[in-house]
Amino acid sequence: MAAIFSSPTCVEVIEAIQDHLPALYFAFSRGRTELLAEELGREWDFLTSGEKRTVRRVIQEAEENNPGLFGPRRQNLRRLLLQGIGYHHAGLSPLLKDLVERLYESRLVYVLFCTETFAVGVNFPAASTVFDACRKWDGQEFRPLLNREFFQMAGRAGRRGYDEVGRVFVRIDERFPEQTGFYREDEVEPVRGRLTISPNTVLSLLHWKTDAEIRRLLEKNLSVYQSNKESRQLRREVQKLEEKAAELARCFCPDRGQDCCELYRVKLRKELNQLKKSKHRNRSDIRQRRQEVQLILQKARKKCRYKICLDASRKIRRLEERVHLLHKRLKQLDKHSRDYVREFENVWSLLEKLGYVQGRELLPRGRFALYVHVQEILVTELVFSGIILESPPLEAAAILAGVDYQPGRDEQVMPPPFSLERVEELRRFLLESGVPEHFCVWSPLPAALAAAWYQGATFDQLLGMTNLQEGDIFSILRREIDLLRQIERAAGEDRALALLARELRRRLDRDEVAVVGV
Amino acid sequence: MAIVKIAKHQRKDGFVTLAQKKETGARGKRRPRRRRSKVVLPAGPLKLDRFQEEAIAALLEGYTVLVAAPTGTGKTLIAEKLLEHILAAGKGAVYTSPIKALSNQKFRDFGQLFGPERVGLITGDLSINERAPLLVMTTEIFRNWCFANPEELEYTSYVIFDEMHYLDDPERGTAWEESIIFAPPHMKILGLSATVPNIQEISSWMAEVRGEVVKVVEERCRAVPLEISWIAPGGDVLDEEEAREEIAERQEIRRWRRQRWNEVTAAGWEELDY
Repeated sequence: MAAIFSSPTCVEVIEAIQDHLPALYFAFSRGRTELLAEELGREWDFLTSGEKRTVRRVIQEAEENNPGLFGPRRQNLRRLLLQGIGYHHAGLSPLLKDLVERLYESRLVYVLFCTETFAVGVNFPAASTVFDACRKWDGQEFRPLLNREFFQMAGRAGRRGYDEVGRVFVRIDERFPEQTGFYREDEVEPVRGRLTISPNTVLSLLHWKTDAEIRRLLEKNLSVYQSNKESRQLRREVQKLEEKAAELARCFCPDRGQDCCELYRVKLRKELNQLKKSKHRNRSDIRQRRQEVQLILQKARKKCRYKICLDASRKIRRLEERVHLLHKRLKQLDKHSRDYVREFENVWSLLEKLGYVQGRELLPRGRFALYVHVQEILVTELVFSGIILESPPLEAAAILAGVDYQPGRDEQVMPPPFSLERVEELRRFLLESGVPEHFCVWSPLPAALAAAWYQGATFDQLLGMTNLQEGDIFSILRREIDLLRQIERAAGEDRALALLARELRRRLDRDEVAVVGV
Repeated sequence: MAIVKIAKHQRKDGFVTLAQKKETGARGKRRPRRRRSKVVLPAGPLKLDRFQEEAIAALLEGYTVLVAAPTGTGKTLIAEKLLEHILAAGKGAVYTSPIKALSNQKFRDFGQLFGPERVGLITGDLSINERAPLLVMTTEIFRNWCFANPEELEYTSYVIFDEMHYLDDPERGTAWEESIIFAPPHMKILGLSATVPNIQEISSWMAEVRGEVVKVVEERCRAVPLEISWIAPGGDVLDEEEAREEIAERQEIRRWRRQRWNEVTAAGWEELDY
């Protein structure tokens, strides 16, 4: 079986493009970048001995500043870097990412296996880019890359002053040939408006903006502008078509529809034909109707140039069909264009119900949530329910780490040595009170990590508690530090809360998690 | 029977590649061919492209400007020229970027370019030198400022949105949109975006919602043109037409295999004689 379905290797891809290095090799999962790098490393070595010495020196310097840089999990990366091969994804610690980036910029990495994030922002050009696949997981489903995404990555190929063309290679997967992508730069997708109305947006509008300004956001945002523009165009077309139909209808005479009118008689003849074929042709009412029609048809036809009328009526029918389609699209637009005014009012009344605002006036909860920019309702309730201040600081650190965290499929962390039942209870209560799910996203998963880090554990100890990667742990803790800064600001006169937030932050923002030498 | 045949055939192929590997792998790992001299095209001193000059001219006249150009064509240079001008005039500017790593990088770059004392960095979890005339931020922070403390932006004449096509991001786009709508009216905008087909539409929306003239500068050509090829299993490099043929062929083979497989399994496993 293995022989039949043998997956093509990156080795033969690199073999094919070896005259166009350095290459950025885009893959769409972290594991895949590592797997491919390992595979290439078994057969290829890109560095001369002089280059190897340089790489070794750079790595040693980095390690002197940060002992344990590669840790227990990334020894393979060190070995690969010495062969001129690297991988780069969000699971790596920032320091390690930085090292790989520096080596890449010094042209000491010949093939870099990376994920999409490597193509955002900082420009790391290459001689060529390779696409391992043309589909990616977007958080909900596997979908083909958009033209925009493809060219954002592909466009890294071609170094100004070095390469005459930037070479882009798309791998055809033996198992899924139909998933191979074909992209065109002139088909890049248009930008659409994506405004969303969060509780913080509503509070900020009510507190800081005038009615006119609120209306500006709700009625003149990009999404509304775009759908208005399309419906304006459609309406204009409908009008034009209707005018054309009216123009055509002018050739009809006042006798239209009378017994003597040929237009009418054509219709009647059709009806008569159908009546004759009908399986109920012997029923009395049908027979009667047939006689009626036959009588009319026996009468004299008006002598006129009826062909003009027939022609016009056919054209009008076609125009009407088109108008009908346009109306359908307009209805669709109306239904799908988001009613931002209503969304705003819905969130507003939810906030009123929960005691954040009274009319336009912000109540204490509202004034607090005004300075929270992530899961503002949940965070405010965690504070106002007393959970944060009443729990031991250790547990508060653990609870806040889970705010807005959506665990991936097989992420695991050891459970914490204390119960998080109060938070679960609060969430259940909020959901029952009509707070939508996406306004109270929280997970117990990161709790134990934050607690241990708060207590002074080493980063290696954290790694021992979970299958999450260094970069994930780093970003969980950095996000908590971000949140703690918001809470400190939101606390205002509440000294105890502000002090707690600052203390938690001080304890979390250290060693591997601290951002140094920005 | 047919399946067995394919398997054998493939396996034979497999042996061949293994043998090849041995040849090259005998003295260790394979090394790339290195080209003696790299093609070095005349790089020349930094001469501005037409679109760069056009954009900079509009900015110096104080317009809000949208620049849409492919990556690597030198959009950053436009931003740097503008910042140089603003700082020389003793005014302030904000530079926003979509990701923290990029903010950090820009903070470093600008520090080297304009002097560290003139550059500050503000992200959710970090702030350095907040009083500096040139502030690098995440777009979310700038959006918050537009609501909570627009007075802080009194002496800030421009906000630069890097990677402005993030407007289209389902989760984060809203921060760009709220920023554009509520950036204080005295501030002008420089939007840097990848190529998007409806840049004119965005500019007329901005003109309407902000009530100001918006200039669009577009560059469609890449500094270095792209050439897309496909790589078939086995390593052949194909052009588009060949790639489509290859794919059609492979699909045909798969269909045939699946059909054979169904026939064999329908006939019963005992016929499969491994």
